[in-house]
Amino acid sequence: MLVTFSYKAPQSREQLLDMIATGESDSKLLAGGTDLLVNIRNGVYRPKMVVDLKKIPGVDAITWDKKTGLKIGPAVTINEILTDANIRQHYPLLCSCARDLASFQIRNRATVVGNIVNASPCSDMAPALLCLDATVLIESKQGKREVPIAEFFTGVKRTALKPNEMVTSLHIPADKAGVRGVYRKLKRIQGHDLGIVGVAVANVGKGARIGVSSSAPTPVVTPLLPLSLSLPEVIEAVNVIIHPISDVRCSKEYRTFMVGEYTKRLWKEVIS
Amino acid sequence: MRIKVTVNNRIYERDIEENRTLLRFLREDLGLTGTKEGCGAGECGACTVFFNGKTVNSCMVLAAEADGGVVETIEGEASGGMLSVLQEAFEKHGAVQCGFCTAGMIMSARELIHQHPHPTRKEILEGLEGNFCRCTGYEQIIEAILDVTGGYEPKEELSYV
Repeated sequence: MLVTFSYKAPQSREQLLDMIATGESDSKLLAGGTDLLVNIRNGVYRPKMVVDLKKIPGVDAITWDKKTGLKIGPAVTINEILTDANIRQHYPLLCSCARDLASFQIRNRATVVGNIVNASPCSDMAPALLCLDATVLIESKQGKREVPIAEFFTGVKRTALKPNEMVTSLHIPADKAGVRGVYRKLKRIQGHDLGIVGVAVANVGKGARIGVSSSAPTPVVTPLLPLSLSLPEVIEAVNVIIHPISDVRCSKEYRTFMVGEYTKRLWKEVIS
Repeated sequence: MRIKVTVNNRIYERDIEENRTLLRFLREDLGLTGTKEGCGAGECGACTVFFNGKTVNSCMVLAAEADGGVVETIEGEASGGMLSVLQEAFEKHGAVQCGFCTAGMIMSARELIHQHPHPTRKEILEGLEGNFCRCTGYEQIIEAILDVTGGYEPKEELSYV
């Protein structure tokens, strides 16, 4: 790689937070590296220091509790989500999203937290996390704070995370256990590809929520929709939240049409 | 920094630049050039190796991360001068043409067979979705894997008129 940087692998969270405490943007946290290292290679990021968080004990933990819900550590990979018995049983929508993310080798390295911190509009995990009302737990030397996932994304590749902070875990509430939902992603090929659009429809009990990727500057989600809505009303509710653009992959009109089409198909599958 | 890595059951200790990828480390520092660099961005899978028991794109792993770790590459596939069963099947079915994807393809195929000892065609396609082959059209590779796992049904010879 042309960019030179130093590599640090702190053994504790305190050590890590000390290293990034100055808050200068010349350090980057490394989890799976599937976005970070490509971005460094392409010169998008030019960090002076890369801080590997995987050596910190407990960062790869997935914990599930009936009362408190699900907690996903910052080094939990996509394939670990797919093979976790509790997630498969209680949060099938997360698995539905995870299955569509990149290729097997990438799923072995890429992390759920990395997928949201990268904040790409086409994040595959975000539609599920938005539908399930996930909370992002953040820590810095100054203290801890919690940000609802919907407020975490602030723009294309932008998040509420400050340079001196790290995401310590993702929390999905217990009352979302058992939510049925399906994510579907339109791609140019069946295999590994970035999404043209992605739609997740979830029946959250009291109503439905629809999360959409690749159709706005950030992944977006509808408010709670009554299950009694007609299909045109559902598509209207989705059209309000998306702001698609035309790009190399397709036109704005095609995106809008396919979001509607996928919403229709998934609504029939999941809700009615 | 100095790292110690086990590659194909041999321990190597080397001084590396901290921005070096695992792929470059294998190819340039250890001379194990069987693993190839295709896209360098996680799209093509030519650089697939086993890292601590899991397949990864070695172009997206830092060599520094591999300190204390275990890596397996295509060079470890054959043993005692004999090709592995998988390599033999690739040869028999013509699953190798230019050979650039083969090292990564064999690694992913091994992982696939580990996950699904008797994979269906669909499972093979999903298992290999991160490995591109621009020569064979994949059919021969799929046949080779089916042959190794017992699911291969030979096609009838084409009849010529």
